[in-house]
Amino acid sequence: MNAFLAAFWAELLKARRSRVFLLTLVALSIVPVVSGLFMFILQDPDRALAMGLITAKAQIIAGTADWPTFFQVILLGIAIGGAIVFAFIATWVFGREFADRTAKELLALPVQRHTIVAAKFALISIWILTLILVVFVIGLAVGRGVDLPGWSAMLAWSSLGSLMFIAVLTYMLIPAVALVASAGRGYLPPLAWAVLTIVLAQIAGITGWGDWFPWYVPALVASLGEPHAQAVPLHSYVLVLAAFVAGAAGTFAWWQSADQTR
Amino acid sequence: MSGTYAIETTGLSKAYGRVLAVDSVSLQVVPGEIYGFVGLNGAGKTTTIRALLGMIRPTAGSVGMLGHTVTPGARGPWHRVGHLVEKPAAYPELTVRENLEIARRLHAVSSAHAVSRVVERMGLTSEADRRAGVLSTGNLQRLALARALLHEPELLILDEPANGLDPAGVVEIRQLLVALARDQGVTVFMSSHILPEVGRLATRVGIIHKGRLLEEFDARRLEEVQALRLEVETRDLRAAAAVLTDAGYAVSWQSGEGKIVLREPRAVNAPDEVATLLVNKGTAPMRLAIVHEDLEGHFLRLTGGSQ
Repeated sequence: MNAFLAAFWAELLKARRSRVFLLTLVALSIVPVVSGLFMFILQDPDRALAMGLITAKAQIIAGTADWPTFFQVILLGIAIGGAIVFAFIATWVFGREFADRTAKELLALPVQRHTIVAAKFALISIWILTLILVVFVIGLAVGRGVDLPGWSAMLAWSSLGSLMFIAVLTYMLIPAVALVASAGRGYLPPLAWAVLTIVLAQIAGITGWGDWFPWYVPALVASLGEPHAQAVPLHSYVLVLAAFVAGAAGTFAWWQSADQTR
Repeated sequence: MSGTYAIETTGLSKAYGRVLAVDSVSLQVVPGEIYGFVGLNGAGKTTTIRALLGMIRPTAGSVGMLGHTVTPGARGPWHRVGHLVEKPAAYPELTVRENLEIARRLHAVSSAHAVSRVVERMGLTSEADRRAGVLSTGNLQRLALARALLHEPELLILDEPANGLDPAGVVEIRQLLVALARDQGVTVFMSSHILPEVGRLATRVGIIHKGRLLEEFDARRLEEVQALRLEVETRDLRAAAAVLTDAGYAVSWQSGEGKIVLREPRAVNAPDEVATLLVNKGTAPMRLAIVHEDLEGHFLRLTGGSQ
């Protein structure tokens, strides 16, 4: 336990001293801010037109400007934006050790390598949890600022629950990014992987195979609140779990056994 | 695995595809000695060191260290080992002190003063609160050495420890390593391609070339393993070289060097005959000297002078 705490302390210090945390916070905060902007436009398109927020030709999204719709837009935004931002976090946490050539300092230590990897995953989970909570609080502030109707405490709690659930599902896809960052020894391979999975998820969604593609499942869950949404089948969750287990096991095994030449 | 040696490799080999980076290296390092592991760039020094530290899995052979068998990813005697592998690296956004604080915690060093002590010892006091990303190469090397020494290990494995240091820094590190070995019994395994440096420091030398350990010798035997040569200086080197060649000597002479070199025992054992010959032929020597080849010369002779 002491070894894990030492490794976690080290990871936390690196994250605190880096600007990456702030960068990811700003990036993900765009979701509630833009969602609030949509609500503002939806409330009164003529006012938005007069203020220059939209042009006469703009396609206004369907729906009503209220808290349920607002939360729904945030959920969808996090399902997509989270995939990018969370992958970016994992890329930095794992890939930076190779980009900065510091990985070799983590290999011949009294602290076992799997403990180092576990500490990195723990940091990522706390990082993501913090981001989600901050995004939710910003969302509450933006929704209040826009003066949306339809507020209830129960709606807020259930939306937070859905947000957490989507975040957990997205987090479960992150170990694969960590594995690609480790095996690829840097930043570019995991970022390429993240882009690839996002593109493939879009294709899977359009072609109707989204429930069989783990990287599309968070978006499926996020759209549950929409009219005519169908329940997410069990096999989708199983596939996300399988991606998590494969990614995590692969990352641990790679750090444990692969030749470390950088 | 024998516990007699601080380091023991048996038939250690590492291949990357069809390239054999290390080829059947068997060496033993006795506790308390400074082992100089000498080779050209690409000779296999760093690959050997990575295998010693369990960073790569040997294709064949085994590594023993301080009574443990080293296997990648397995528990090793790492709390007793300090290392510096290849280029020094540090987290650029962290200060020198923070980088060392991470090392202190990962090595479970209980004394909170350990960082300050090693910062002072490595002459990094004025840099302690600067970010590692803005350090000079020399100070980055000092930081890497500080990290290797922080937990007061009994075995130091250092890959080119003098890299990036200025001449005063090189002397300082040399004195530090000698003092650690002499006063605290620390074993040092250091690689280098700076041969004179190894000659001044090591108690034993191993020469690796193209992955193979060509030779090992006690540094006290350095003079024995180094060949002798007779150096001749005259006013007219060209004429002297012709005289010696006519007399059957194998002459090594380059006009830019200002001297003739004779390596064969016939010349080295009888410099008086060489002198007499040159005087009689009107090319009297200005200087005749029997010289030990330096370690570099020995190394180049051993490896055929190939790069």
